[in-house]
Amino acid sequence: MKDAKPLLEARQVFKGFFGNPVLKGVDIALFPGRVHALLGENGAGKSTLINLLSGALQPDDGTIAVDGQPVERLSPASARAAGIAVVQQELSLAGELSIAENIGLGAYPRRFGLIDYQALHKGVRQVCDMVGLTEPLAMPVASLALGRRQMVEIAKAMFRKPRVLILDEPTSSLSAHEAGILAGLIATLRDRGVGLLYISHRLNEVQALCSHVTVLKDGVVTADQSLAEIDGKGLVRLMVGRETGELFPPRPPACPGAIRISVEGFSAGLVRDAGFTARVGEIVGIGGLVGQGQEDLLLGLYGAIPAKAARAEIDGKPGLPGRVTEANAAGIVYVPADRKHEGLVLPHSIASNIILPSLGRLARGAFRDRSAETGLIADLAKKLTIKGDVARPVQALSGGNQQKVALAKWLPLDPSVFLLNDPTRGVDIETKREIYLMLRNFASEGRLVILASSDTPELVNLCDRVVVLREGRIAAELTGHAITEEAIVGAAMGVTERVADKEAVQ
Amino acid sequence: MSIVRTVFRNPPLLTFLLVALVWIVASLTLRGFGAYGHLRYLLELAAVIGIAAAGQTLVILMGGIDLSVGAVITVTAILVPLISPAWDPTGLAGVGLALLIAVGIGLLNGAGATYLRVPPIIMTLAMATFLQGLLVIVAGGSAVTVQNPAVILLGQARPLGVPAGVLLWIVVSAVVLLLIHRMPIGARFLALGANPLAARLSGVSITRNTLVLYALSGFFAGLAGILLLGMNRQGYVGIGDPYLLTSIAAVVLGGTSILGGRGTYAGTIPGAILLVTTTALITVVNASPGWRSIMFGTLILALLLISGREARR
Repeated sequence: MKDAKPLLEARQVFKGFFGNPVLKGVDIALFPGRVHALLGENGAGKSTLINLLSGALQPDDGTIAVDGQPVERLSPASARAAGIAVVQQELSLAGELSIAENIGLGAYPRRFGLIDYQALHKGVRQVCDMVGLTEPLAMPVASLALGRRQMVEIAKAMFRKPRVLILDEPTSSLSAHEAGILAGLIATLRDRGVGLLYISHRLNEVQALCSHVTVLKDGVVTADQSLAEIDGKGLVRLMVGRETGELFPPRPPACPGAIRISVEGFSAGLVRDAGFTARVGEIVGIGGLVGQGQEDLLLGLYGAIPAKAARAEIDGKPGLPGRVTEANAAGIVYVPADRKHEGLVLPHSIASNIILPSLGRLARGAFRDRSAETGLIADLAKKLTIKGDVARPVQALSGGNQQKVALAKWLPLDPSVFLLNDPTRGVDIETKREIYLMLRNFASEGRLVILASSDTPELVNLCDRVVVLREGRIAAELTGHAITEEAIVGAAMGVTERVADKEAVQ
Repeated sequence: MSIVRTVFRNPPLLTFLLVALVWIVASLTLRGFGAYGHLRYLLELAAVIGIAAAGQTLVILMGGIDLSVGAVITVTAILVPLISPAWDPTGLAGVGLALLIAVGIGLLNGAGATYLRVPPIIMTLAMATFLQGLLVIVAGGSAVTVQNPAVILLGQARPLGVPAGVLLWIVVSAVVLLLIHRMPIGARFLALGANPLAARLSGVSITRNTLVLYALSGFFAGLAGILLLGMNRQGYVGIGDPYLLTSIAAVVLGGTSILGGRGTYAGTIPGAILLVTTTALITVVNASPGWRSIMFGTLILALLLISGREARR
């Protein structure tokens, strides 16, 4: 096997977005008959690498080679022609079309210029049998459960008889039974000489299925070795270890104040049956893999999505805010992760963005008090060092300054609870430092800061307490010295649930 | 150079200068166009469009659209003569009642858009169709003549030589400009129009503002209907129809983004005048009315492209 030529490889590829490097010279090689695992934290560059390998993106530098031959500008079409198939994490099925139509999409057998449904169904039936899809082929995909749709997605990739199959978190929505079928399928394909790349956050699955591993951290390969030589703990260490420097303000000794938020049996969106308390003067972190319900937890507390709780108390008063205006009146404010779409009115000026939540309180009678508004805006811009003319549209600002505007607009309300969703995503290091310091000051002024973050070092070094979500439930609650990257990543990936996951795979 | 750029970047000013240019050139070349009586007549016609477009401007600023403007104009123009009580010598009771009905129709539009989550374009279109059907049943298709003294005064009086309708338009303009630029609710409309999600998460209530907005649009359409009735002395089914598209055209000509979030009523005012001026030009040179529509379409596209206002999004 060692002598075989790699089917698909990336050689020293670089890729950045908006001057932000994501991949910094990454090598990976997929060999026939080998299941290759790709591991890394959120934002390590896994998705970007997959997009490069499948032709969805072009590398800034470096080459993609198929069968050892460098390919100029690999496109999705030429990747498909070369036998490269990808099962994406986000499903790419057309809900109104039938199972057969989805699986055969783009490669329909034709007769007299029309789709030959008989031939299509015959071909599709074969791959469906392989993945255990027994539903009628004419059934629309929209009527299938999420896990079954994932199996259709896998069958779709199989339909093209790929030589290289890339699976991006294929089991995240599968039942144990379906995951078992998939494991069998992967073994069959491996024995047929297909090259497989398997991305998963479930380490136990990876260890059961894969023989080789590449670990990415901050866009750099930190390991490229046989899986036999390393255990789960070692993999986690390879994915996290990183210097933190003096980015974070010193953490004062813990002196928890009065309880400000206390919920039991809280459900909102993805969040199921969560219970936690948060106290005055605390920074509470919410961690976990992407999309485990962190955002829904914040939105539910903010009254922006329907939420219910068996018992909820905010500042001693029972009940959750039913809408955003109620939350604001109770002193709860929210800074969204997606500044451009949720946090700011981009084409409007810095000034109108800052003043938006305070319009009503600054008005004198029916009219706006322009001089009071101007004074407040100038004051906030100075306090948060937002440079330049406040009449400029906010979309002209850098990510860091935009984030400052999104934070600044809440300060006049003198909020008692800050809900922040990934406030430092895409923010330069200097602004990060300022924001961390600001959050620490909020806490010491007797406010409560609840911070969802995809950046694990942030949780470890800034927060007084960390709640880790996994599949909408609270997987761990860590305090003080127990907050370590290993503990957070371990809980997020369910390393502690080793036994249960092993069963699911077999 | 920089002056030219400023003008092109400022759609209300651009439209205003275009109107001034057309008026000057037409007055010098066409006999009768520049007479005071003629220009005053143009402004009187523009007042109906301008008042109807006041509500439309607000709705479009918030990212919606009101297709029931024409129907509400017709409703008030037909209902005022029918519902004005005989015991009221001023006629104000009938006017007040008709405006109340117009506001009610607007509230229903807003309620459908916000509570039932019907897209505004569908909600107001359905409302317009519904009202037209209702009017045919109520008014039976025949024209009704207005006796209401308040309405006649509004349509015919000329204090100091200025038509009362134009004075009403000046008052409406002042109120709407203050609302957009000097009141908190105007800033909220703009924020909701540019990014409803961000505005909602910033504590701006979508429900409340939508209701207020469509109620205002109903009110201004009703006001335009009463003015039109006074000028016409007769109300009939279909009297408001031409004002639906012209109200939208005036808004767009004035540089307000049809996508919402950017614009001002200061642009709609010259927009409305430009529309009637074009019509008058066609009439004066005795060309086919088909040219009127062709010029409307060309003007809208040309002004939009010159200022590049949608492209920058």
